[in-house]
Amino acid sequence: MVAILEKRNLRDFDWLVAFLAVAIVCFGIWQIYNAQPQMNYWSKQIIGLFIALVALAVISTMDYRRIIDAAPIFYAIGLILLVLVLIPGIGMRINGQQAWIKVPLIGQFQPSEFVKIPVVLMLAKYFGARKIGTLKLKEVLVGVAILAAPLALIMLEPDAGQAMTYFPILAVVLFLSAVKVRYVVLTIVAGLIFMPLAYWVGVETGKIKNYQQERIKVILDPEAADPRGYGYHTVQSMITVGKGNLTGIKGDTDTSQSVLKFLPEPHTDFIFAVTAENTGFVGCVSLLLAYALLLSRLIAGARQAGDRAGMLVIMAIVGSMTFQIFINVGMALGFLPVIGVPLPLMSAGLSAVLSTFIAIGFVISVKMRRFVN
Amino acid sequence: MKLNDQAQNLGLRVGVIQVIAFVLLAILGVRLYYLQIVKGEYYSEKAENQRIRFIPIPAPRGAIFDRNGKLLVDSRPTYNVTLSNEPIKKIDVSDRIEDYMRGLNVDRQFLIERLNFIKKQPEFETLVLKENATIQDIAWVRSHELEYPELRVELQPQRFYPHGKILAHVLGYVGEISPKQLEKPEVKEKGFRPGDIIGKGGLEQYYDQFLRGRPGYRKVMVDSRGRVQDEVEVVKPQAGQDLISTIDLDLQKAAEEQLVNSATKRGTVISMDPNNGEILAMASAPSFDPNAFVTRSATPEGRKEISEYYTNEQRPLLNRAIQGRYHPGSTWKIPESIAALQQGVITVAHSNVACGGGIQIGNKFTRCMGNHGSPPLSYAITKSCDGYYYRLALKMGLEGLIKMVETFEYDKQTGVDLPNEKISRTPKYYRSYVEKRDGKWNDIETVFASIGQVTVDVTPISMLRAISTVGVQGKMFEPHLLKEFKEIGAVGTEGEPTFVPARPSFGFAHPEPKIIEMTPEQNKIILQGMWGVVNAGGTAARLKMANFEIAGKTGTAQVTELGKDKGALKDHSWFVSFAPAYKPEIAVIALIENSGFGASHAVPAVKGVYDAYLLKHNPSVLEGQQIARK
Repeated sequence: MVAILEKRNLRDFDWLVAFLAVAIVCFGIWQIYNAQPQMNYWSKQIIGLFIALVALAVISTMDYRRIIDAAPIFYAIGLILLVLVLIPGIGMRINGQQAWIKVPLIGQFQPSEFVKIPVVLMLAKYFGARKIGTLKLKEVLVGVAILAAPLALIMLEPDAGQAMTYFPILAVVLFLSAVKVRYVVLTIVAGLIFMPLAYWVGVETGKIKNYQQERIKVILDPEAADPRGYGYHTVQSMITVGKGNLTGIKGDTDTSQSVLKFLPEPHTDFIFAVTAENTGFVGCVSLLLAYALLLSRLIAGARQAGDRAGMLVIMAIVGSMTFQIFINVGMALGFLPVIGVPLPLMSAGLSAVLSTFIAIGFVISVKMRRFVN
Repeated sequence: MKLNDQAQNLGLRVGVIQVIAFVLLAILGVRLYYLQIVKGEYYSEKAENQRIRFIPIPAPRGAIFDRNGKLLVDSRPTYNVTLSNEPIKKIDVSDRIEDYMRGLNVDRQFLIERLNFIKKQPEFETLVLKENATIQDIAWVRSHELEYPELRVELQPQRFYPHGKILAHVLGYVGEISPKQLEKPEVKEKGFRPGDIIGKGGLEQYYDQFLRGRPGYRKVMVDSRGRVQDEVEVVKPQAGQDLISTIDLDLQKAAEEQLVNSATKRGTVISMDPNNGEILAMASAPSFDPNAFVTRSATPEGRKEISEYYTNEQRPLLNRAIQGRYHPGSTWKIPESIAALQQGVITVAHSNVACGGGIQIGNKFTRCMGNHGSPPLSYAITKSCDGYYYRLALKMGLEGLIKMVETFEYDKQTGVDLPNEKISRTPKYYRSYVEKRDGKWNDIETVFASIGQVTVDVTPISMLRAISTVGVQGKMFEPHLLKEFKEIGAVGTEGEPTFVPARPSFGFAHPEPKIIEMTPEQNKIILQGMWGVVNAGGTAARLKMANFEIAGKTGTAQVTELGKDKGALKDHSWFVSFAPAYKPEIAVIALIENSGFGASHAVPAVKGVYDAYLLKHNPSVLEGQQIARK
């Protein structure tokens, strides 16, 4: 029996998804090296990849249904971590954000990256168990509540960028839980109306800080922005991307934007600009195609999922990843404001790689058990 | 899971999410195409521009030497504290003024001007904040590197005038190009930038384009903070060409000494070779120290010194030799005599004109200093008979006087190779003013003009030039200070874009002299008169030397009416001369302001220059003099 399971495990293990994920991380390691050849970020990322691979192997061989059953425990642990990070002495303050917990040996990790997974599991557990039929208001409110608790804690750090990546999780889950199409349309229309209104209120009440306003203005007209002030990140990122032309500088980084420190945060938030400079249009489009393939593969897995909860887990992860890719690359390409969101699988950082691999581990696990009832 | 069996089109909804994901990725792809393919060149250029900087390497200016190779001006390396705008572009610097002021001993007002100016400049411009930085200044800048990254210490060649106040007006000085000058299109065209050093006044200004070197540059790659990462290319500077001037430093020193020791310490002495117009000495007093403008313009003391030069009523910055206008007094009689002969008012055979002890015009009698009967021309010159010239000028008439002005080019610049030369003013210039004032040009104006008063104001250089013609058969040369520019070698390899060709040596162009028409006989009687001034009991008889015959003419320029000529309003004293009288090698003019009678002040000044000349070229004459005195 065990042997049969093992065999079937191996046969149904989604090698392509794992391969794509590892390939993108490896491509990312090359770009991290290009970004700052003198620094050891790229070697740290290799170590991170191995840790992430172990996590992926472990998670994918576990039965996701049992993990989903235990979702409230993980959810509680996640909230505790988000509280811990706010306690001075335990949480580390970097760039004005209290978002990291120092861990001996590993270095530091970012709870807000990981808490996405318990949130996904918690939502999947709740909405996966419900009966078929139109979504009720009470159910929507429970979903919002599940999201609101960690979100509130993340906003205390404050890390608006990370917080934003949580919304698509709920959106996808609600959309796939049979929310009426007219509510979807209504939400979109209301969003289009209330977003500018909310922005205006935010500006008037001072909730949206000056630097955030400036970052948004830069997007509207990057050429007019002060290239040494708030426009700096956007302008430099656009220069770096544009400079890549068709095929890029192919790793000849002596005069690169990142080595000369014109491009800020090249190994994390602006890793896509580094990729664009080094590999050009060809490299970037290849990367986007790899993401597209990975996402389609995940969605295909969702379609084959054995139960509703498994499908929701995969699709929530797909939604979150797509959103992060779009926000991060859009920022690098100068049409979205500068928000500190890592590019999944590419940006340097153990937390981000590990959490993405854990998520992919779930996906593989779900797919592997599609026939088990 | 059988999605298709479910209500709410779950399969379709998953499909919608998939489509949205692909659409978002496609948007990114389109944007990428725009940035990398459509605008790729534009951004490549932007990236190149922000990482490549050209750091100029200043070129030393050419040195200036006297005719015997003695150094007059040089450049020496000094440390300057410079201010760069890059680190302070975005910040308020008003709180640093106090600190700079104390740390570097720099004037507050100057600091404020500098900071305001640099902030208006494009990025990566630098300006000198303090020249000639001391060891203390350098240490202060170094120790405040982190606080004030905008300050740097740079080694730059600096102009040095070893002789200080001597020859200052001729040499001029150098300084930063002014914002006003920068705005001129012809200056912009030449690629001048703020902070560039240019010649101001004197030879430094007149020959700036040759003295100025061609700066080289270092093409470097910088990081985002402007720190140099790598040197891409170095183009060496080409130094400016060395200038050999016609000045004889020994004569110059003698001339300066005469002025410094003169009664009022104000005036000018010029010495020229009458055979070609080469200026051997040109002194103007009071003088200034050009080093003040170059080495001390940032310190409070230096700025006080400079502003004092501008406000001083004695006008030390004025080059009296070419910018001062004075009544020539009786020196005017020499060109007047030549003109009278030219115009046929008198002839060699009949040059006698009555003195009459003066002349009655209407109810006013204008007297002569003596009663000379009806002297011939040479005697009238020797004795400086005013009565003779009153009548001579009345015979010439206003038209005759104007013709004389044109003959001797008193209505033009002499063309001396110095900037801002003033043009003399004569009856030709004043005619319209007088006619407007009096209705017509009265005879009394002609009488006054005949002895170089009232409507005659000439520059000393124009006077020396005109009178020197008597010694050289009427040849009127262009006075000049340039003997030659030395060659400077090429920089770089021929054929390469950075190659700078050699600049060849060249001498003064020597335009053909204007010929003042006179017959040998006419020339001779004027020469005789001038010879007599020194050698036959004339107005400068005290200058007589054995074996060195000087021809000359004294002049006394009235500053005010007779009777009030006391103290500051005393007459200007003139003496203009050349020697040896019949084969001149040197011409000298002296003007001492407000010192009184011509013979008593200008004549000794001229003698000082001749003594220096003889000491060099014919010392036996001076020895003979000593013996004769014993």
